Amino acid sequence: MQSIRNKGLMALISALLCVSLAFVFVVNRAAAHKVSHDAETLQAFTDAFMEQVILGDNLFHGAPMDGINMSNTGMACAMCHPFSSDVHPHEYPKFQEQMSEFATLRDMINWCIEKPNEGEKIDPDGEAMKALEAYIYWSNRGSVLDPGRH
Amino acid sequence: MADNKHDRDEVKRNGVVDITRRTFLHKSLLAGGAVATGSSVGFFQTLSSMEVANAAMGESFSFAWVSDTHLYPRELNQRFIDKATRAFSEVQAMGDKFDFMIFGGDLAQLGDPVEIELGAELLKEVTITKHFIPGEHDWYLDLGESWNKHFGETPWTFDHKGVRIIGVDSVGRAPDYWSARGMTDHERMGHMSALDGSQAGPWSGLGKEQREWLSSTLSDWPKDAPVIIFSHTPFWECYAPWNFWIRDWREVHEIIAPWQNVTNIHGHVHQPLYNEIGGMRSIGMLATSWPWPYAPEGVPEITKPMLRVDPGDHFDGVGWGNMNMSAEAHVDHQYMMWREQVFGYGRADSGTGDNVNQKLSPRIADRGWTGD
Repeated sequence: MQSIRNKGLMALISALLCVSLAFVFVVNRAAAHKVSHDAETLQAFTDAFMEQVILGDNLFHGAPMDGINMSNTGMACAMCHPFSSDVHPHEYPKFQEQMSEFATLRDMINWCIEKPNEGEKIDPDGEAMKALEAYIYWSNRGSVLDPGRH
Repeated sequence: MADNKHDRDEVKRNGVVDITRRTFLHKSLLAGGAVATGSSVGFFQTLSSMEVANAAMGESFSFAWVSDTHLYPRELNQRFIDKATRAFSEVQAMGDKFDFMIFGGDLAQLGDPVEIELGAELLKEVTITKHFIPGEHDWYLDLGESWNKHFGETPWTFDHKGVRIIGVDSVGRAPDYWSARGMTDHERMGHMSALDGSQAGPWSGLGKEQREWLSSTLSDWPKDAPVIIFSHTPFWECYAPWNFWIRDWREVHEIIAPWQNVTNIHGHVHQPLYNEIGGMRSIGMLATSWPWPYAPEGVPEITKPMLRVDPGDHFDGVGWGNMNMSAEAHVDHQYMMWREQVFGYGRADSGTGDNVNQKLSPRIADRGWTGD
């Protein structure tokens, strides 16, 4: 009798666990996709991205931003990288010769700010860095990923 | 390691083109003869010297070229002042060699009278005869007022030892992109100063009046006699989005086509660049300030690109060129840099070869500019 009661309890617990997992799974999915991606929604996503691209474009071309100082020479990123040419974001991460170490694009952005521009490094996870990254990737979109290439 | 394609070009070109009579030959591009000896590399790194000879008259001469100093006010950027000062000092040190010096434009960065006056002060170091052509950075704050006040108007011409020398203004005749939008002078200059900006448009060109002047200036010159034309921007379509061209290059080529020995020497591109179209050779000169990357398209195969630049070395990618004339009237132009190797051959080292895997888009932030 005891064995039967235990088996019943185990079955009940298993069933509850399954239901709970299923609930969590379904609810989480539902949270990410409560509504279908209509054109208006997709445009909102694009607008959110392009807002960062434009901010990054302006920073890349020397616009000031409170709390950061990307150059003490008058030089802006675009003066050596028109159209963000010769940045090669699609080749990161890679061994970066100037730094003598394995580096991400964000590492190299900060290296350029600190060395050629004689500015002050920016927060690698901050607003300015994310915007710069957005502009550089946007400007190089269509380039084929080729990480590690020198 | 030599690139076989370049070697084939050299053999082909030497086999086809008459390089011993009327053709100025950009020898360094064909022979890969970049020279960087210890003394010259360490000292003469920021100017271009050229020796020209007219075989018919048997006279030769040399001149120096400096351009694209892009000076900021002294308190903002000493680095560019140091490089310009060094270039001018080197020209002066070799003053006996040169008949004159050309300053090829973009003395200032933002056209500020303070910057132009600073440049004029630095240029006093050079006491040989100087001739000036403007760059767009010198022009669009006050539409050339400060530039013309200090350095005189352009175009100009003179004959020197059998060569007709011409300096043109390829920057000051831009279509008006500022009035209708109500731009301030500084806004106009700001849009012009961004090489990859979209608001200034196709600003580089000679314009109708200057083309007529050029045609008239050449009209009495023998068709087989040498002509050198100095301009800030190249006389051909290399890469229009960065104004690596003059927008009326077709009309200009029609004007100069009858002359068999025309050399166009230009700044603006901040890089070794070479092309031949008909009887015209075009040579792009180095800047003293900083190098540009090669354009994503439009660089001729006969241009031998320089080695990729180390952005951590302020003196990398800038340099001087040396043109020596042979008895057969060759102009042998050699770019001189601080490093031993100047040209890149393999994809990993070549500025153009390395850029073939990038797809680029024009900037976007300035397209919606409304004057706010």
